[in-house]
Amino acid sequence: MRELVTVQVGEFANFVGSHFWNFQDELIGLAADPLGDAVFKNQHLNMDVLYRSGETQQGVLTYTPRLVSVGFKGGLGSVSARGTLYNDDVDTPSDTVTWRGSVATHYTEPCKKNLFLQSLSEEEQENLVDGKNSGRGEIEDKDIIECLESDVTFWTDFSKVHYHPQSLYQFVGSWVDAQEFDNYGIGKESFSWSLQGEDIDERLRFFVEECDHIQGFQFIVDDSGGFSAVAGDFLESVADEYSNTPVLLYSVRSPSSSNVLRENKKQIISRDLHDAISFARLSSFCQLYVPVGLPSLNRSKAATHLCIDDQKPYHCSAVYAAALHSIGLPFRMEAQGPTTDSCYVSGAVHVNDMVRMLAGQGRQNMVAILDVAMPAPTLLEKHLGQSLLGSLQPLTPEVKEDAEDLLALESMTAHGVFESGGDRASVSELKDQISAAYEGETVRPMLCHLSAAQCPLPVPLPFPSIFGNLVGQHGQLLATPISGVSTRGSLDVYSIPMAARLRSSNAVLPFIERRLTNLLRHGVQGSSATPLLRSWGFGREELEDMGESLSKMVLALNPHSLSSSDSD
Amino acid sequence: MSLRVLNPNAEVLNKSAALHMNINAAKGLQDVLKSNLGPKGTIKMLVGGAGDIKLTKDGNTLLKEMQIQNPTAIMIARTAVAQDDTSGDGTTSTVIFIGELMKQSERYIDEGMHPRVLVDGFEIAKRATLQFLDKFKTPIVVGDEPDREILKMVARTTLRTKLYEALADQLTDIVVNAVLCIRKPEEAIDLFMVEIMHMRHKFDVDTRLVEGLVLDHGSRHPDMKRRAENCYILTSNVSLEYDKSEINAGFFYSNAEQREAMVAAERRQVDERVQKIIELKNKVCAGTDKNFVVINQKGIDPPSLDLLAREGIIALRRAKRRNMERLVLACGGEAVNSVENLTPDCLGWAGLVYEHVLGEEKYTFVENVKNPHSCTILIKGPNDHTIAQIKDAVRDGLRAVKNTIEDESVVMGAGSFEVAARQYLVNEVKKTVQGRAQLGVEAFADALLVVPKTLAENSGLDTQDVLIALKGAHDRGNVVGLSQHTGEPIDPQMEGIFDNYSVKRQIINSGPVIASQLLLVDEVIRAGRNMRKPT
Repeated sequence: MRELVTVQVGEFANFVGSHFWNFQDELIGLAADPLGDAVFKNQHLNMDVLYRSGETQQGVLTYTPRLVSVGFKGGLGSVSARGTLYNDDVDTPSDTVTWRGSVATHYTEPCKKNLFLQSLSEEEQENLVDGKNSGRGEIEDKDIIECLESDVTFWTDFSKVHYHPQSLYQFVGSWVDAQEFDNYGIGKESFSWSLQGEDIDERLRFFVEECDHIQGFQFIVDDSGGFSAVAGDFLESVADEYSNTPVLLYSVRSPSSSNVLRENKKQIISRDLHDAISFARLSSFCQLYVPVGLPSLNRSKAATHLCIDDQKPYHCSAVYAAALHSIGLPFRMEAQGPTTDSCYVSGAVHVNDMVRMLAGQGRQNMVAILDVAMPAPTLLEKHLGQSLLGSLQPLTPEVKEDAEDLLALESMTAHGVFESGGDRASVSELKDQISAAYEGETVRPMLCHLSAAQCPLPVPLPFPSIFGNLVGQHGQLLATPISGVSTRGSLDVYSIPMAARLRSSNAVLPFIERRLTNLLRHGVQGSSATPLLRSWGFGREELEDMGESLSKMVLALNPHSLSSSDSD
Repeated sequence: MSLRVLNPNAEVLNKSAALHMNINAAKGLQDVLKSNLGPKGTIKMLVGGAGDIKLTKDGNTLLKEMQIQNPTAIMIARTAVAQDDTSGDGTTSTVIFIGELMKQSERYIDEGMHPRVLVDGFEIAKRATLQFLDKFKTPIVVGDEPDREILKMVARTTLRTKLYEALADQLTDIVVNAVLCIRKPEEAIDLFMVEIMHMRHKFDVDTRLVEGLVLDHGSRHPDMKRRAENCYILTSNVSLEYDKSEINAGFFYSNAEQREAMVAAERRQVDERVQKIIELKNKVCAGTDKNFVVINQKGIDPPSLDLLAREGIIALRRAKRRNMERLVLACGGEAVNSVENLTPDCLGWAGLVYEHVLGEEKYTFVENVKNPHSCTILIKGPNDHTIAQIKDAVRDGLRAVKNTIEDESVVMGAGSFEVAARQYLVNEVKKTVQGRAQLGVEAFADALLVVPKTLAENSGLDTQDVLIALKGAHDRGNVVGLSQHTGEPIDPQMEGIFDNYSVKRQIINSGPVIASQLLLVDEVIRAGRNMRKPT
């Protein structure tokens, strides 16, 4: 078993993370449920890769995510940063043992727990008092879902996971509004790594020290605002301290973040520079960079069978989290020996293998595209899985459609997919079908690694109602829409077959090129933005270095490009 | 909060409105922090939206916790926090001093005086006060053996404003000893060499100084000893885990045997490194009752742990980067980056190494070291907010001791400096100033009195009575401070109340600068940044 440590930085990253951990929690719950579906019982996924076992001072055993999350102070809503697992003594605010003089108490208005969190704590209380007694104050699941649909402010509002007290780090900005915390400069200014960074490093070390043999870090970073700078510094220190441990980085953005502050030219330049700089900074400290976040998820092809409100981070993050979950499955599949594949899982790889596969050979392109099929279609005999390949749609913005790339490298995970008979396809079947489908393609990637598992994505209760009316109870696509409903949620849909793919292809060129062009135009050649960049703490030299490394990325993918930097 | 008295709708605030906005903001911030000051101040307990508790009597912490929106207040807060960053204390004093300068100015401005004149007066008064401070301070001889009593008095003065007396006095000895332990002749004091470790356990009075180091992790092997005496310490930064994750090695195996062979070869390299350490252990420990402890900054995987455990070696992995430096200072030896050329000279020494377990938390104590230059302050407290508050206080105490040694002087406290400086400004400096700038000097002088005034107020004394008594006693030629208990004038030297020279100096320096800037604001134009809280 090789451990994976997850790091989430920034508001939207924590939204994605919250869904991600809800899936894991659901998987753990279903595996232990005696009445549960057999497919969840034999997952052959090792949860210990993501989770740690611990013990409170009272000797109560705990099982919590191996996670460091960085967010704004006040971003946890009604949930305490220490969590509830390790609270042994009930703190009475009146006992101040360090001061004999007068005490002035200032209360922030308490955040009210929403119905979902209320039901969680009630459930816990009941478990404590007596085994099974569903007495008073039963909260209906329907009401919970309604409540979550109408109002989710914090990522904790829909989280059902217990976190370790070391996990949730709240960063105290120096009097900056969350609204103003929207570019690299302000993040750099209000977050001093030398002062607060050490605390974050310490928390990460806490989780790493426990690992017998860590396989890698999985970073989820909201790079749309100031947290990009925080993550940049964090990654720099990780790259320095754990130099041999690979970092897989997902930069995630909510659709709403790309629509704000496009009012005047100055803001557009500032935005463009932010995008360029944060990409250059973050990509320089990781081994694989996966940009995630479309300007409009709802109108994208990836959401064909989904109904998403782009304004709700609660909705969008659910889709991204599902894709991340699928991509991450091979990291924790239980290897069955070198050659024999089990009938439940196949294609186990470690983060390092994945990185080497996608970014370590051929063109050494480290920016990968994330494609997803949610739900993955049923394998039909005659189509030989082509429908599955065709249904994979990108979640990465600014990519070329129908790019023909013979040097593409891919890693795909499919799990829980049905075959035409209505049963779940066995792993070997799935593999055969997909390989056959690739054979049938006109333009084939140079290499495709395939991982498969039988266990589908479980849909936990706090999952948003985003499925369209063609999605059936187990995520199969129906021929006729279910009448009378427009969206279906966790009460109607129990699980979803998924397929997701990381693709290293020249289709990602527009994404990199735009950042390079903006960096060169505003940062290196033009001088209009120089004061802005200086206030962000970047000198010309540093920007030129960034430009150079981005040009290298472009050049690797497109040797014929004559980037504008060469002309002068 | 009284900070938001300004007119929120105006796009452009004219001169007088702008000025009053600044004055009100400064006063508002002063009101919030005022009750913090001194050993009789009020401790603040902040209860967050989710019930999280923060306990503080520190202006610095409080400012950072407050959601300040007003731009003027933010400016003052930044200055005050910067004060803390450079000198470690004096945040509250800075804020209330700026507030008082603004308050005093308001009186004159309302009577039609131009702020420029006041600002000129401030400048003169500031320079005179700084000169006076240099005369007033009490020089101390640091030398090789600094006067422990003076250091203790300074530390005690600071700590008693943050913690109750008995605890403050206990910590006084701890912080003074800690700083003296890490101090090296001819070198700047690096407070990072004092590790501050905490345990959630029992009571606050269990806090103690460990001469040596406490690490917040233990060995990860069931067969390693939990307690060992007479230990050689190897401080290393060597990877002792099988690293197939050489990230850039683009090598792919063509068959399973090749893969196995690769794995075996790489595993062997790790084992060889471990073997080198074992050889050194045998060299120094064979035939004695001595023990061997490896503290490594990189990882150690289970097979390596096994090998080490079999040889009776205790091994800790993933030690803090800073602890590498601390270990060497505490135990001696040197930190090694490779296992080539290991010699007994690389090794440090500790009389006792033992592990302490609290639930899932493990602590390793490295104690009984010889001639340490690094140490650990171990704070115990029943809950997180108590620990955090003691930690803040300890940091302030350490800074106070460090400042004293570096300043080679101290300033008598309890408001005595402020009273003396005020009298000096009014009686002597003012006369030498031409024209109306005199009023600026006077405003500055009166503003200085805010310190004794607030101290009196927080002790429940009548401020006027106190000030009259203090001025009277001063004019009879004594240096007098305020007794927090009786309100009578006292001799701060007798009572052992001393402040840091550098802290005082910084307050006198930065306060008038910010106040002047705020007074000279002509217009506030709302542009770019929204001054209202978006709702």
